[in-house]
Amino acid sequence: MVVVENPVRSLLGAAPKKRFARAPARADDLADLVLKDLDGGDVRLGDTWRDGPVALVWLRHYG
Amino acid sequence: MQLHRDRDRIAAAGVRLVVIGQGTPDHAKEFQARNHVEGLTILVDESRASYDAAGAKVATVTELLGPRVVARGTVSGLRTRLPQTATKGHAAQLGGVLLVLPDGSVPYAHLAEDASDNASTDEILAAAERAGPEPTRSG
Repeated sequence: MVVVENPVRSLLGAAPKKRFARAPARADDLADLVLKDLDGGDVRLGDTWRDGPVALVWLRHYG
Repeated sequence: MQLHRDRDRIAAAGVRLVVIGQGTPDHAKEFQARNHVEGLTILVDESRASYDAAGAKVATVTELLGPRVVARGTVSGLRTRLPQTATKGHAAQLGGVLLVLPDGSVPYAHLAEDASDNASTDEILAAAERAGPEPTRSG
């Protein structure tokens, strides 16, 4: 059987099958991740909630 | 959530707002200027490792371009008057919001199930209120 790849899916890098997003109950796996700030400096994610609650917003993209 | 409109409400509730995007620091600077969110903490995750750890998903074609998604996106664009610009990064990556407390617990989460699915600021603020009072802070 020949499987034809969906060109739109390939272009977008879209998932082949639907899955459900699953949020963690705790942020432990996020705490030690190091991201860049606007100046290219390192920011440990866990430091953002060390002193108080934080709303972490993941954008789809910057577009 | 509309960042430029809601950031003051979130700060007034004692919650720091941190925005994470995929792309480069230059992409983030463009985003900051275009959305008039100077002073907001914006971080860059080129590897998308934090998206994965947060549980955010990569969408299917229907979840990106299905009729319901396009209709809701059009309405949202007209309401906010913020035009969609060229995508930077992985086009099918979806986002979301986690409210994280100092003990590392996550009392509120909203992860997008399609490209038109956004968290409600009212829900975030309600969850912060349930989690306990915090002094007003900026962020």
